[in-house]
Amino acid sequence: MNLELKHIHKSFGEKQVLTGISFLAEGGKAFGLLGRNGAGKTTSIRILMDVFPADSGEVLMDDKPIDYSKVGIGYLPEERGLYPKKKIIDQLVYFAQLKGMKQADAVKAVDYWLKRLGMMEHRNKRLDTLSKGNQQKIQLITALAHNPQIVILDEPFSGLDPVNAMLLKDVVKEEIARGKIVLFSSHQMNYIEEFCDSIAILNQGKVVLSGDLHDIKRNYTRDKLVVRSEQAGRIAAALGAQCKSIRQDELLIQLSSSDEKQNMMQMLTQKYNIDEIRVFEPSLNDIFVEYAGDQEAGGAK
Amino acid sequence: MKQFRTILNFELKNYFKNKVFVGVTIFLVALIAVVMFFPRLSASFQSDEVETPVSEKTSVMLVAADNEENAAMVQEVFASAFPEYDVQIAEGGLEAMKSQITSGEAECAVALDSLTSYTYYVNNLSMYDETPNRIDAALQSMYRVHAMVESGIPAQQAGEILSAEIYSVTESLGKDQMQNFFYTYIMIFALYMVILLYGQMVATNVATEKSSRAMEVLITSARPTSMMFGKVIASCLAGFIQLVCVFGAAFLCFNLNKSYWDGNLIINSIFNMPLELLLYMLLFFVLGFFIYAFMFGAVGSTASKLEDINTSVMPITMLFVIAFMVVMFSMSSGNVDNTLMVICSYVPFTSPMAMFTRIAMSTVPAYEIIISVAILIGSVLGVGVLAAKIYRVGVLLYGTTPKLGNILKSVWKA
Repeated sequence: MNLELKHIHKSFGEKQVLTGISFLAEGGKAFGLLGRNGAGKTTSIRILMDVFPADSGEVLMDDKPIDYSKVGIGYLPEERGLYPKKKIIDQLVYFAQLKGMKQADAVKAVDYWLKRLGMMEHRNKRLDTLSKGNQQKIQLITALAHNPQIVILDEPFSGLDPVNAMLLKDVVKEEIARGKIVLFSSHQMNYIEEFCDSIAILNQGKVVLSGDLHDIKRNYTRDKLVVRSEQAGRIAAALGAQCKSIRQDELLIQLSSSDEKQNMMQMLTQKYNIDEIRVFEPSLNDIFVEYAGDQEAGGAK
Repeated sequence: MKQFRTILNFELKNYFKNKVFVGVTIFLVALIAVVMFFPRLSASFQSDEVETPVSEKTSVMLVAADNEENAAMVQEVFASAFPEYDVQIAEGGLEAMKSQITSGEAECAVALDSLTSYTYYVNNLSMYDETPNRIDAALQSMYRVHAMVESGIPAQQAGEILSAEIYSVTESLGKDQMQNFFYTYIMIFALYMVILLYGQMVATNVATEKSSRAMEVLITSARPTSMMFGKVIASCLAGFIQLVCVFGAAFLCFNLNKSYWDGNLIINSIFNMPLELLLYMLLFFVLGFFIYAFMFGAVGSTASKLEDINTSVMPITMLFVIAFMVVMFSMSSGNVDNTLMVICSYVPFTSPMAMFTRIAMSTVPAYEIIISVAILIGSVLGVGVLAAKIYRVGVLLYGTTPKLGNILKSVWKA
């Protein structure tokens, strides 16, 4: 099972929001959709969910145009909110029914999830009597109760305490293990790194980087060294512009090419008293800032 | 279709679980019941009091004339013309008479300058004080009898000549406005209240879902058309059920107390409303409700906050109030077929009330009704489709309330 967006274009009035977005998400794996605010993530998700049509391009499920009457989609929007004045069980069953479930099945599924998330005691309460984190767990049920093939989670961890975050992680892992397509959208890179096998970074309506997260990291040009030394000041003075101080006693050295790193390492260890020297390996955060940030921010790291 | 039914169910349940909705309906039914049972209740109280009939005349009417002979004659005539008053000849001067009235000892006073001219004194003149007219009539007949007697006609014959009564029967071949004014009035008012109240509720409902962000989940779970139609039809049903409860209670209570209302022409005319008109009422209620509720729903979807609703729905409310005013003024002027009303009975936003009034109070050719209803049905469909499109675009717009032009532009493109 796989889900593919192909050459999606979308503009609102004069404003071009998406200019040829393409990416592929596979079942049994989590896919991270990254990008700064306004990069086009929500618009992509809405097109994917058929809230509005794309100007051009297609959404494919297993290489065929997606049939929304057959494919179930669960969505946890970034802007949370349900009916604050209604009983929790009533509205959860209502949302599950809207997704095509029968009343009895909906009640059963909702009860399962209330139990799974430890919310059974709140079943017959009004939503606005719950804390914000618990309301978020209730909202998660609207995305999962109808057992959808595609689960889209927009900033799922924001506002959760560590215990609840752990619970959510377990739930997400279960969903992935069931072979579902899980689409993450988040700014919290540590969660993306933990879950996602592949990612796409959006910037101003374009996919600027996509693919397997492991490959992306490996293929990242290894032309930077991190050096920790008490003599950092002297090294910096000697090397000049290619050197940058990261924190006290630590330098990031930009090499002209990755072939040069052997020589540079030798030279530094012979000349100076070095505590630590290693090839710089970018975190997802670094990659994100480089690709999604503007040019100046990208060059800084 | 299944989705639509789910939404309709959910929205309808919301109305029936709403304490205000249930409370208001019960209150109205109770009120109607009290009104309709009132004659029976008061009759049963009165029957207890028959044992001790109130013979005293509580209000005092003073009369003063230029001479004692006239005063005595007037007192006698007034005593028979005003059986509810204790007619007394005033003692003392004009000032004494006035102070008796202001102090409340006497209710009113008549000071005659001659047999054909008088001054009427009363403390607080009520809007519907008929007394001067009755005094006029009493004095007039007294004067005429007096004059006839003087010219040689016996008093009894003079009295017969003057009291000769004319019997007449009016038969209306078209509609009888005296008969149908009241029930048309009540129905137009019910139409006005229900459409405005429930229309606003649709707008508020949509805006609440939007501002609580439940819309984010809804819009990805259900078709906008299902959501729009589900809400509007649920509100229509709720309003209709409320009307049926209130009018049904009225009808039931009337029939239980029918004999007690025999003398009341207005009440009887209301409950003898032709069935045909009731069906027209139903038709125009449903169509009128839809056209306004769709507009209210569309406007509700463009508001980001609940507070914006009141200003956003103003143009629609105004349109509706103007239609109501035109109909009400035409009704009270007695001419419901004036040019303005004829135009209004074809314009879809005013025709539910205007055409209904014309059908009820005048004779409208069948083809006019058909044209009006056809235009209305066409407009309901058109407005419905447009509203669903605005809704689809509107619910995703947050921030400042967008301008109408921009919305229409994006609707055109969608």
